Amino acid sequence: MDERQVGSLSFSIDFSQPLYEQILTQMRSLIARGTIGLGEKIPSVREMAHELKINPNTVMHAYQELERDGLTEKRRGQGTFATTSMMKIKQFKERFALEYAQDFLENMHSLGFNLNEIHTYLTRLSQEKGHRKND
Amino acid sequence: MTEPIIIAEQISKSYGRKQAIDHLSLTIEKGSVTGILGGNGAGKSTFFRMITGLVRPDSGRLTVLGEEPGWRTNSQIAYLPDRARWYGNYTAEQTFDWGSNILPGFEKSEALRLAELMNLPLDLKTEGMSKGQEARLMLILCIARSVPLIVLDEPFSGIDGSSRERIIEALIDAISEKEQTLLISTHEIYEVEGLMDDVVFLKDGAVQLTGNAEKLRTEYGSIYDLSKKMGD
Repeated sequence: MDERQVGSLSFSIDFSQPLYEQILTQMRSLIARGTIGLGEKIPSVREMAHELKINPNTVMHAYQELERDGLTEKRRGQGTFATTSMMKIKQFKERFALEYAQDFLENMHSLGFNLNEIHTYLTRLSQEKGHRKND
Repeated sequence: MTEPIIIAEQISKSYGRKQAIDHLSLTIEKGSVTGILGGNGAGKSTFFRMITGLVRPDSGRLTVLGEEPGWRTNSQIAYLPDRARWYGNYTAEQTFDWGSNILPGFEKSEALRLAELMNLPLDLKTEGMSKGQEARLMLILCIARSVPLIVLDEPFSGIDGSSRERIIEALIDAISEKEQTLLISTHEIYEVEGLMDDVVFLKDGAVQLTGNAEKLRTEYGSIYDLSKKMGD
């Protein structure tokens, strides 16, 4: 795992996994969590390729997917920016939240857990996580 | 964008009893960055010399840019041979002037931009250059050309870390701005790991394994690790 810096943003690149998905996932997260703020400029394809030492086409494909997600928008002659619409980010997060939650529920149901039991697990996990954070 | 720029069909070449290339079949896609990997004597340099028409196959068929390799195709190929050398009493800038006169598609303004990016002094004569500086000069002669195909045989050998980084950056620009097809053979896989679209492993003059780099990563892990396994 390589930690690499693009401007003020940190990326971790693992060459044993497909690079396209790593760029896409990390950029999505940076925008969804607000590390890259609304309407903020995102690094150019060239800058990303140079700093991460990866093929610019890989970065470009990930950027095209971000645009389809509604998370970014191109401005002519100025580059690519995070969306200015809070609404779009919310929609994007909701889409994934539903997907992740559904996968999780299906897995738990297939093991025969009911909603009450599932809830117990979730509470236990989040408490443990809380403890760890306080350590 | 699947249009082949190089097609090798069952090509073979032997030097005396040594079979350098052995029924090699392989297709290189236009606009891709392909890493040609393999140990010493795997046939990488011989394959590159065949692409540039310096060596003819004993049998089989090789098509480059739609025709048999020769002077016509060579005007569209920028080739960095292994162990490339340059004349000692030329400065970097004089070398670029020579390039403008001789090399098809060579753009001096692009060469000057690259020299600045790669930190190469223009007034320095080649005989006064370090190995890394000379290698950067040779590389600039290749990538300052607007030609469809660039073939680099071990561009990093004997080059220090900071020069390598500059070379990688220049290659990244060449890929993004000029849509050139890039063929690189190298032992320094870590340096180009993220650059390769496709990977070809050669062994004993034939293809041992080939595929899209991202797919190979999903299946085997990093290309660097895979190359170690392939070498065993």
